[in-house]
Amino acid sequence: MTVKTSTVQLRRSEPRSGLGGLILGAIAALLILLWVGSNGYKQTLVMSAVTYALIALGMYVPYLMAGSLSMAYSAYAGIGGYAVGLISTKTGLPMVVAWIIGPIVAAVLAVVLGLVTSRLSGFFLAAVTLLFGMAFTAFLIDAESITGGSGGLGNLRPLNLLGWTPTPYQMMVISVIIVCLTAFLLDRMRLSPWGVIVRTMRDAPRAVEAAGVRVPVLNLVALAIGAAIAAVGGALFTYTAGSITPETFTLNVVFLAIFMPLIGGSGTPWGAVAGAVIAVELTLNFPALETSGTLLLALGVLIILLVAPHGVIGYADKLRTRLWASLRKEPHGG
Amino acid sequence: MAEQEILLVGRGLTKRYGGVTALSNVDFELRAGEVLGLVGPNGAGKTTLVDLISGAQPATAGELMLRGTKLTGPASRRARAGLARTFQYPQLALELSVRDNLLLGRAARRHATPWQMVVRAFAGALRPHAPADDAAIQEIADELGITGLDRLAGDLTLGEQRLVEVGRALGQDPLVLLLDEPFAGSDARGVEGIAEVIRTVQRRGHGVILVDHNVDLVASLVDRIMLLDRGQVAFNGDPRECLASPEMQRVYFGSDIDDETGEGTGDAPQAEVQDVRS
Repeated sequence: MTVKTSTVQLRRSEPRSGLGGLILGAIAALLILLWVGSNGYKQTLVMSAVTYALIALGMYVPYLMAGSLSMAYSAYAGIGGYAVGLISTKTGLPMVVAWIIGPIVAAVLAVVLGLVTSRLSGFFLAAVTLLFGMAFTAFLIDAESITGGSGGLGNLRPLNLLGWTPTPYQMMVISVIIVCLTAFLLDRMRLSPWGVIVRTMRDAPRAVEAAGVRVPVLNLVALAIGAAIAAVGGALFTYTAGSITPETFTLNVVFLAIFMPLIGGSGTPWGAVAGAVIAVELTLNFPALETSGTLLLALGVLIILLVAPHGVIGYADKLRTRLWASLRKEPHGG
Repeated sequence: MAEQEILLVGRGLTKRYGGVTALSNVDFELRAGEVLGLVGPNGAGKTTLVDLISGAQPATAGELMLRGTKLTGPASRRARAGLARTFQYPQLALELSVRDNLLLGRAARRHATPWQMVVRAFAGALRPHAPADDAAIQEIADELGITGLDRLAGDLTLGEQRLVEVGRALGQDPLVLLLDEPFAGSDARGVEGIAEVIRTVQRRGHGVILVDHNVDLVASLVDRIMLLDRGQVAFNGDPRECLASPEMQRVYFGSDIDDETGEGTGDAPQAEVQDVRS
């Protein structure tokens, strides 16, 4: 046996449970809920962060795992939102049905859009899906008899779960739990054989194809899962807001969602969540610079990419590894 | 030797790119437990033939039969029918560990249909890790002499990357293993590991197609050798006969040999500029 160098020892096997992320995520979520308290404004901020987080988590699967940048996510979130609105205004069905229908419709649409754009990649894929997002907004405005036009759908019934109508605060807690669970399950998906195949598809699609997995089909599956997650985000936001308009989910959300994993760290889905929280804080809640929040965010992204190329979580992990290494060294050196 | 079952047959395999014929009317047979060597200078069509067999590129003409069944469609379908391959330029996920790269070969068969792809995604979220996979991966790694499974594939030497590719292909438990230049960049240990794999696959009664520049090395490992020259089969038969054949001399040294070129084989430079235009 050869003597292993210390760098090899540091690169330990990645734990496949994803529990570490869940514990840290749950602690952070608890701290945020404590910080919010009964403050209505802060509750709105959290709901925005939740929606952003779910859109960014949705994009995580096709974009960061499979490597195809689809920008139609404003449409997928919008479908989730309009499913809530339409179930409430056009049917007598329980509101919770929207939670199922929205993600399914979004997933089907993602597959159709994925089939149409299957020959595109990189910039052209991004451009075409971006156009689709814009066309979807135009459709929402024009199809007035269905979508209520530019005024959207308002006065929606509240969510009712088996006779229990959650208060806005409870709705927020449920949403935060959904975000944590989604990030946790996506993290485990990433580590599973399925995730390994999807991540290999990004760098070495020929190898995946040659091993027996049809790459274009797996790409569609990744897109569908991502779209469904984004639709859940759109639905949650609409349940809480009680209304939905074509302007609720715009392309701005998509651009922000692209940067969120970069800010938080693209190595794990939790990075998308951390990025969403930071993005909402900087764009919506930064006291001094109300209108220049987006500018501040862009600046923040630049700084983070220079200082911590693996995002905030990657940076924290590096610090922890260093600290751990120095703690272990002490007894030998002393 | 008793006649073994024919595993893989190629008939009239042809590949044209526009007016350029890369491969012209190639016939071959691979029997169970046989190792077929594929040699020839750069641009002779070796990798093109591997691509046509594996389905990485569609053939212009010709057909393939694997155990009597027509082999068609995309590479993934052919892989599930029993083909596995490595690449001339290793195709690994460089940001993933060696272990995860090896896992692909074994896990791929569980993701064959769209339905399986969906179900496995959610099953993976519930149960990301199967100990049976670990055991199988360890077995393959031991067989090939791969150590340090937690290293990132991007940190490996080229020789180690090739070894991992061979391990990934073995994980598919293929009927026919296509090795495209597995020895380039390998050290003696890597060569021995791959040679051992070839013997193991052979013993299981499966077939191997081995592509390499190093004619001597290939000849020492194979039962039969096929010499390609400008997309055509120049020789197909016993490896020792091939080394001594006039075709070999012509392909690697040009038709008129002078004494200076000696007996050396291997990566000899081509005598003339390729002109394969039809």
